[in-house]
Amino acid sequence: MGEAIVITSGKGGVGKTTSSANLGTALALQGKKVCLVDTDIGLRNLDVILGLENRIIYDLVDVIEGRCRIQQALVKDKRFEDRLFLLPAAQTTDKNAVTPEQMKDLITELKRDYDYILIDCPAGIEQGYKNAVAGADRAIVVTTPEISAVRDADRIIGLLEQEDIEPPKLIINRIRRSLMNSDDTLDVNDITSHLSIDLLGIVLDDENVIASSNKGEPVVMDPNNPAALGYRNIARRILGESVPLMSIDTGKPGFFGKLKSLFKK
Amino acid sequence: MPKQQPKHQLVTIKGTKDGLVLRLDDQCAYADLLEELGRKTQDPGLEGAVEVKIHTGHRYCSDAAMKEIIQTVQSAGQLRVSKIQSDVITVEECNQRIREQQSETYIGIVRSGQEVRAKGDLVVIGDVNPNGYVSAAGSIYILGRLKGKAHAGNTGNREAVIAASWLEATHLIIADQMETMTDELAILSEQPEMECAYLHSNGFIAIDRLQDLRLLRPNLSTFKGGS
Repeated sequence: MGEAIVITSGKGGVGKTTSSANLGTALALQGKKVCLVDTDIGLRNLDVILGLENRIIYDLVDVIEGRCRIQQALVKDKRFEDRLFLLPAAQTTDKNAVTPEQMKDLITELKRDYDYILIDCPAGIEQGYKNAVAGADRAIVVTTPEISAVRDADRIIGLLEQEDIEPPKLIINRIRRSLMNSDDTLDVNDITSHLSIDLLGIVLDDENVIASSNKGEPVVMDPNNPAALGYRNIARRILGESVPLMSIDTGKPGFFGKLKSLFKK
Repeated sequence: MPKQQPKHQLVTIKGTKDGLVLRLDDQCAYADLLEELGRKTQDPGLEGAVEVKIHTGHRYCSDAAMKEIIQTVQSAGQLRVSKIQSDVITVEECNQRIREQQSETYIGIVRSGQEVRAKGDLVVIGDVNPNGYVSAAGSIYILGRLKGKAHAGNTGNREAVIAASWLEATHLIIADQMETMTDELAILSEQPEMECAYLHSNGFIAIDRLQDLRLLRPNLSTFKGGS
């Protein structure tokens, strides 16, 4: 019996879909059988980021309305043999085409065959959010170090705490080292103490995230990328390993930096 | 059937130093009472406009009955009812009063978009985050950070206070007085620890150290005994 994890944020554009794709890929890299479910009906993106857009035949609404079996709608990611699948969202209907009860049944059915089911939640707190949360056992809240994203995360955590699921965990995405070290954004401690939930991990901002998403290859497949490291660490924590939080200080100081710190003493 | 005359007076008029008090019998039939009340208050012996108080004793009067009594008394045009006093209240009213005097405790974080309301005092153990809202008929005490909106004395109690371990609210409301904390925030954030907001005698909300509350609102203390 697998575990269903919903990835949500409240605010749009903080990296829910990117995080879903990367965490799913990272879990598959760790040898787990993963199914990604895109619940953003009408505005689907997860298929694009995974590079599976061209292979969609049926979608989530087709399954729910009985036009096909689940197995027919699942799109296999060939890079991972039989370990990574996507259940794409429908693009031609809207979010009201599905009810939370139907989602719950669907996720329960998927849990039989997969270790992890990652549910990519749409932005907002309306029907789409309710559908996405319905079948989940756990929740991950994604935020960025921006006050607006943190406010929305707070709202969504409040709603999640009223659901019958485990306390949500936090991912802080798109951390820019330079800004955070210069105190121009909220730092990791500010955010976690404000939201007072467990931190699952942090992901550094990196240009390659966008570049690789555009190519349809989740960045996590590049082991040397700093953002990929963040996602890999989070995946390991989901699996129950204890991985220390990566440092956000800018690497080693240069020659002049060392000289400066000498004089500071 | 001849009408039975009551043996004793159902309405006693007493003069006190605060004015006339109409003491109504609480054992007789309501119709008899009303009849005698009408007769007595029409008494030509009463002169000029007089303020009276009505004491209904152990008779429970519904709102409609109260209205009827007042109307009867005032129908003569000489008496004006200033106050009605009663020795009894319903269980429901009693429970309501108990609730208003009790303090309710909320443990958890009041997050954005959430509301916590209390009929009496409210104790929050946890933070009130921005866009979170706490409201109470009495005072609000927060063991944690108040970063949202708080409304104390929401039924008009101007003595109510808002106290927090960390007072960094966006809006403070006491009774009907609201303060947005835009200008004050700078001053507050330097020393937001252990503060309380109260309605100053000048009509505006003021913020002081929590320790000063014993001088500002000594009546809030319900502690009995000790030394």
